[in-house]
Amino acid sequence: MNWQIHLPALVLAIPLLGAFAAPLAGLGGKHIRNAWFIFISVVTTVLTMLLWQKVAAGGPAVYVLGGQAWNLTLPSGLTWPIRIVLEVDAFGAFMAVVGGIVALAGAFFSLRFMEKFSGLDKFVSLYFLLVTGMLGMELTGDLFNFFVFLEIASVASFGLVAFWRDRPEAVEASFKYMVISTVAAMMVLIAIGFLYGRYNAVNMAAVGQMLHMGYAEKIALVFLVIALAMKCGTVPMHMWTPDAYTEAPAGVTCLLVGVSQAALYGLFRVCFSLYGASLDSVVVPWTIIVMGVLSMFIGVSMAVIQKEIKRLMAYHSVSQIGYILLGLGVGLLALRDPQAMADYGFTAMKGGIYHIINYTVYKGLLFLTAGALYYAAGSRNLNELGGLARVMPQTTFMFVIAAAAIAGLPPFNGFVSKLLIYESTFAVYPILAVMALVTSVLTLASFVKVFQTAFLGPAKAKFAHVTEAPGSMILGMSILTVVIIGLTLFPTWALSHLVEPAAKALVDQAGYIAAVMGGGL
Amino acid sequence: MTGNIPFLVVGVVFFLGLYAVLFERNMIKMAIGITLVEASANLLLIVLGYRFDGSIPVFTLAGEVKQMVLPTPQALTLTAIVIGLATSALLLSLIMMLYRHYGTLDVREIRRLRG
Amino acid sequence: MWSKVYTGFGFWDVYTWIIFFALAAGLVLWLRSMGRSDYKKGTEQDEIFYGSNEVPEDGEDIQVPASSAYWGFVEALQPYYEKLLQIHTGIANDYVGYLVVTTGILAVLVLI
Repeated sequence: MNWQIHLPALVLAIPLLGAFAAPLAGLGGKHIRNAWFIFISVVTTVLTMLLWQKVAAGGPAVYVLGGQAWNLTLPSGLTWPIRIVLEVDAFGAFMAVVGGIVALAGAFFSLRFMEKFSGLDKFVSLYFLLVTGMLGMELTGDLFNFFVFLEIASVASFGLVAFWRDRPEAVEASFKYMVISTVAAMMVLIAIGFLYGRYNAVNMAAVGQMLHMGYAEKIALVFLVIALAMKCGTVPMHMWTPDAYTEAPAGVTCLLVGVSQAALYGLFRVCFSLYGASLDSVVVPWTIIVMGVLSMFIGVSMAVIQKEIKRLMAYHSVSQIGYILLGLGVGLLALRDPQAMADYGFTAMKGGIYHIINYTVYKGLLFLTAGALYYAAGSRNLNELGGLARVMPQTTFMFVIAAAAIAGLPPFNGFVSKLLIYESTFAVYPILAVMALVTSVLTLASFVKVFQTAFLGPAKAKFAHVTEAPGSMILGMSILTVVIIGLTLFPTWALSHLVEPAAKALVDQAGYIAAVMGGGL
Repeated sequence: MTGNIPFLVVGVVFFLGLYAVLFERNMIKMAIGITLVEASANLLLIVLGYRFDGSIPVFTLAGEVKQMVLPTPQALTLTAIVIGLATSALLLSLIMMLYRHYGTLDVREIRRLRG
Repeated sequence: MWSKVYTGFGFWDVYTWIIFFALAAGLVLWLRSMGRSDYKKGTEQDEIFYGSNEVPEDGEDIQVPASSAYWGFVEALQPYYEKLLQIHTGIANDYVGYLVVTTGILAVLVLI
């Protein structure tokens, strides 16, 4: 029990150690490097689950980096925190578990997928830096620290998207992603500068306590919302998403899905816990709702016409982010009114948060199956693929589960979160639920197209040599499949133990502030 | 009014950089624009910490000082400068690789991924 | 029964659906088992029905490519799709342009 108080710092330190020691492990040859890769990934995932258990049992976990004691947030005589404070409440711990699972699956998958690339110890380093950045964004309680981890994750992902540097498209995708991402990160920095200039503090809880709206805070809110929405892949800033997700190696794309969720976490932390009660106008919630609806519809209508399998899935990624934004936007809209929150707001938030874990797991699995197809058959173009279900039965089975989950077919987990979102947004404006339903139908349509063209159909002569994907890739995919099936069979457990504490923690701004400000010896 | 000039400079540099990223066709000029945007953000942080008639925030051999400039934004800016260095280095290497692959630095020609 | 998810407006029960699917799967398997198994494999009786034409050897010639899927849907929504594809240019300047324009619109809406 004694070492568990250091869990928030350990969850960040272990992948960082993995990143910096990966070239050393690479000196020992391929097997030692792979062993290090898997070992650190497993340890990180286990630590995130232990952290979640700790937070579920004992309330928000606080950790002061570099302080005299691990929980001395307010040293004697000071009224606000002076060091970098990691604050993990139920929502942050939930996101960290989601990130850990998807990082582990991507790591197992990348063992065999990347074997014909060179420079693999740098790949392992960059992968762990991306994991560190993602987990850091989700665990930190300090605005500037959030910016630093955002940039760590972004720069690592630029390198990973361009990893196949012999392909011109990969470098082009990384360049375009980099330009828009850097501009957005500078907007975040300017917003943090505005908030620091007004309140002389960068700790989220401290600023949240002192915040009252004025012009500078409004501009900071606009910059933060738009820049973080861009990092998730929200329309109209979504155009980097298909490029980057297509050209990255499949295991990395699986992790990039988790990273976009970390940016979504930042967006909602800013809206709910930083601004929370001070948000007096409805402009920002309605903007999030409108951007969510646009993302859903534009994402899925672009996806129906794509010919390349990973690009199609990346457009679906844009569309699913729209569902989450819709759910949490309705929750934000209902934040000031307790009656509305009890009626539909809290259900919308539960739907949105449950959709986060659902989307991450089934989207990660879909990208991994696309990667397995590419590894086995050598092509990503749907016009060329066909008839692969006979030779790749396990991949087909997992693809069917993931496609049914994303389309929202009962009994899978996607249906439960979409049901919660449909019913609660119907109470705000019926048209929102109608758009969500139409999007769901079009999602099913495009995945039927993928399934029919890639897996079903007659066996082609040029794919006579294709065999099933190797064992470690199947293992990576089955981790995600097991999570999907688990969430399908036990939705009440997932909702009451995973999602509801997270939703309550997000709504409870006072609790978030009190965990840091009320602390100290 | 003269106290606000640094903030106006921040705004001008930010918009100059943003104009370069939005409307320039040459990729190197877009990279310069991004560097300008980063510079404006760093300048904003430094200027926020300034206190009128403040001395440098060092205690050693300070002597009689009434007012010191705030040191926290200087630490934030150092971090942001290092981050800007990393992104500029990576951006320029990507531009170099793109030139080798595509043979042009015009961003409107480099559009194989569209639609 | 066991674990229902209560939304504010109704409920969702996993196990009812799984029992339903199990029943449906049982029905499908029973229907399949009603087929005849006394056909000669590897001759004409085993081939697909290809409009009474010769069935080509390679599967490639009889598969409908993915680009022609949902042709009617795309044709019907052609004005919408034309506009949408025009917006997705692929030029890096436009990506940042949309970011700046969205920030501008939201800033105007928030500040008034």
